[in-house]
Amino acid sequence: MNAPTQSTSTFKNVTRFAWILLAAALLLMPFYAAQYTVTTFIRIFYFGFLALSMGFLIGQTGMVSLTQTAFFGVTGYVIGLLGVERGVPFPLPEILGIIIALLFALVFGLIAMRTYKIVFLMITLAFGQICWAFAIQNSSLLHGWAGIRGIRPPVVFGIDFSEQSTFYWTALILFALGIYILWRIVKSPFGLTLNGIRENPRRMIALGYPVYRIRVAAFLIAAVYAGIGGILAAYNSGIVTPTAIQLSRTIWILLVVILGGSNHFWGPIVGIVVAVWLDVSISQVTERYNTIIGIIFVLVVLFSPNGILGILDELRKGEKLAFIRKRLPLRHNS
Amino acid sequence: MDTRIILFILNGLTQAAILFVLGSGLTLAFGLMRVVNLSHGAFYLLGGYIGYSILQATGSWPLALIGGGIAIALLGFIFERFMLSRVRGGDLPQTLLTVGLSMVIADLALEFWPRNSITLNVPRELNPPVMLFGVTYPGFRYLLMILAVLIAVALWLILYRTKLGAAVRAGVDDRETVSALGVNINLIYTAVFVLSAFLVGIAGVLGGSYLQLSPGGDTTILTYSLVVVILGGMGSLAGAFVSALILGQIISFGTAFAPQYSYFLLFIPMALMLAVRPQGLLGRQQL
Repeated sequence: MNAPTQSTSTFKNVTRFAWILLAAALLLMPFYAAQYTVTTFIRIFYFGFLALSMGFLIGQTGMVSLTQTAFFGVTGYVIGLLGVERGVPFPLPEILGIIIALLFALVFGLIAMRTYKIVFLMITLAFGQICWAFAIQNSSLLHGWAGIRGIRPPVVFGIDFSEQSTFYWTALILFALGIYILWRIVKSPFGLTLNGIRENPRRMIALGYPVYRIRVAAFLIAAVYAGIGGILAAYNSGIVTPTAIQLSRTIWILLVVILGGSNHFWGPIVGIVVAVWLDVSISQVTERYNTIIGIIFVLVVLFSPNGILGILDELRKGEKLAFIRKRLPLRHNS
Repeated sequence: MDTRIILFILNGLTQAAILFVLGSGLTLAFGLMRVVNLSHGAFYLLGGYIGYSILQATGSWPLALIGGGIAIALLGFIFERFMLSRVRGGDLPQTLLTVGLSMVIADLALEFWPRNSITLNVPRELNPPVMLFGVTYPGFRYLLMILAVLIAVALWLILYRTKLGAAVRAGVDDRETVSALGVNINLIYTAVFVLSAFLVGIAGVLGGSYLQLSPGGDTTILTYSLVVVILGGMGSLAGAFVSALILGQIISFGTAFAPQYSYFLLFIPMALMLAVRPQGLLGRQQL
């Protein structure tokens, strides 16, 4: 669906060269870029996991889930509770964090997967808010608004992960690995089954696929991605608070995915790069980042529902920019 | 009965009044247009803020109430006519548009209104202490309950006693047939959306007078409204009424007896309902 339209050998070579250049630029970044740029990229990586999580669900399965940020927060809180407050050594809090995120996803998924489309969106929004509500009001365990402070990356085998460039490389490698694994999942028979469910769930049920269970499984995969992002975020900021899982954060990630292009595999990644970069550059000029990105988002939904990558696709096909309303790929008639 | 319990019940009813006004608009728009207006919370906040400014300028609370409602109705009209109608029929694009709008409104509100919490001061003559059921209770809160009931009656009359209402109800069941019968369904859509926006604008002024308005409050309100609508059954006005009554009591008693979990408790009936009867208390639509 997003195969390159030109597949001449020169084009392939150019693409390969561009990839190598990009990889080198990213790997060597701590050597040449300002500390500030490195920090920005760390942010891109951990929010990137969250964007991949949401983008996978929207793009591959047609499910707009607004619970994803909660999984992002769950792992952060588990690390805070176990690692900081009870001194449980690495990697137990991390592993346990992912497991608990999976349990949350299982419970939510089993309920939410009874529904589709808009109702699914509303229910997952409510689930996300349940977690947020618990986090702000529970003072005995989660310390309410104050959250948990003092989260520090571990020292493993003498490698101090709190050192910025080490943390950067760790996050970069994890992110690249995460993208690769997700790519394999998307291109596997399982991924194709998800696409089938996105297009026509009823037909897939009639064909004998256990649609309900497959959707739950996709939800679990997405929860793992959000969870990993949450671990990195908690280590990077050193603190986990309800702000990490509030609805406006969830909505921001949704905008990011749609902005990049939800039906493209790379959409969420492009979206997060643009959004974080925009955040960094706009914040020097105005405080109204949300207004600007909100307006951009509305324009994207109205005029180019396939996002930035959709626009690039059209340019590459040599077509004029079709500023006409097209149906969003996620809309399926069932 | 213990006077404390009576007070809790009355608080619950006051909450229920606000929840109903919030939920009724959302459920109407959803039932007909299949639009989940995720800017509902932002509309509420903006309605309250505009009401606050009107109150500051004129000192008239009724004017603030009407002004807040009309301003949001106007915003709803513009949004529906020039944006939502462009992606008509696409559930998701419509919802996403409302998401974008909510983000812009909530952010711009920071520019124009104070960043700390504000409350609309209700004039003394609208808020006399009332002695009923053996307790003295602020009269304004009784006024809230009366207003909510009046709104419920008015909505019922509109839906079941007018031509517009008949077209709306028919549109909920089968919009293709309705438009084939010569009803201008687009006009109906706009009317319902504007009505919904008017209601939530009013809710903002009411809520801002009873509780307070603060940045970020929009998401809480949106969640409240969604819970009312999901529990009551999407598209059902009566369902919204019943679920607002239930949730109002949960909020009131939860705040009193389990303050650490009061917000959390609110979701329990919804989760149970989804597991047992996904269409909600009085909803007819199969999800």
